[in-house]
Amino acid sequence: MDNSSLEQAPSPPDLASDEFAAAYQTHSREIYYLTLRLLGEPQRAEDATHDVFLKAFKKWSDFRGDSSRRAWLYRIAINHCSNLRQSWHSRHIVPDMEEMIGNALAPTDSPLRLLEIKELGDRIQKTLDGLSEEYRLLLLLVADEELSYEEVAGLTAQTADAVRGKLHRARKAFTVLFQKTA
Amino acid sequence: MKYEKKFRQQEHQQISAAQSHLNQTAHEFATPEEMLRHDAKQTQVPPQIAHRLSQSLQNEPLSPRPWWKRWLQ
Repeated sequence: MDNSSLEQAPSPPDLASDEFAAAYQTHSREIYYLTLRLLGEPQRAEDATHDVFLKAFKKWSDFRGDSSRRAWLYRIAINHCSNLRQSWHSRHIVPDMEEMIGNALAPTDSPLRLLEIKELGDRIQKTLDGLSEEYRLLLLLVADEELSYEEVAGLTAQTADAVRGKLHRARKAFTVLFQKTA
Repeated sequence: MKYEKKFRQQEHQQISAAQSHLNQTAHEFATPEEMLRHDAKQTQVPPQIAHRLSQSLQNEPLSPRPWWKRWLQ
């Protein structure tokens, strides 16, 4: 794979402001990745990323700086995906994978292994699809090292201590489900 | 017997080579977050999003200054 193409996303030409174009270039990767893993399909993620940045543009001057621009964009993306998923769930029956996990004794302290890196995306998606929305979002946000626990807490409407507590269970659930996808 | 021993040696070498290959291609992640970070780095943003966005923005008027910014001045 061409690593140079992974360095930075291309900025949209002729964007209305340099600041907005810079924000797109800086944050489009994490927003696209979040929407991809929340929605599960590249085409839906593409549409969602477009819509998120269009909403951001319309609200650009509303940003008051009481959070990072990154967290602000995440907020828009989470709300957008939540609306999309609600309408999608109303038309689909999703099995409750939490019951499958139960009290399984998962070796959460052992590393997650896989032989072929090319299968990683599919297995991650299957695993995330099996988690509760709360755990899925929590893991995706915590995986972004640029976000603090406080920011994750703000985005998920809970305290930082609650985030830390739930993270342990989310990791365990992910590990159990990931092993089932092998 | 001689051939059998040689065959077993070859078999042993083949198994060792296969195990070595597995070790080379195996990937380990200490936590789900580490795995997700790796996945995110490998994920490329489709370039057509930028073009679609640029077209959409051409139809958008510049947003007015919010009331609280006007009020602060």
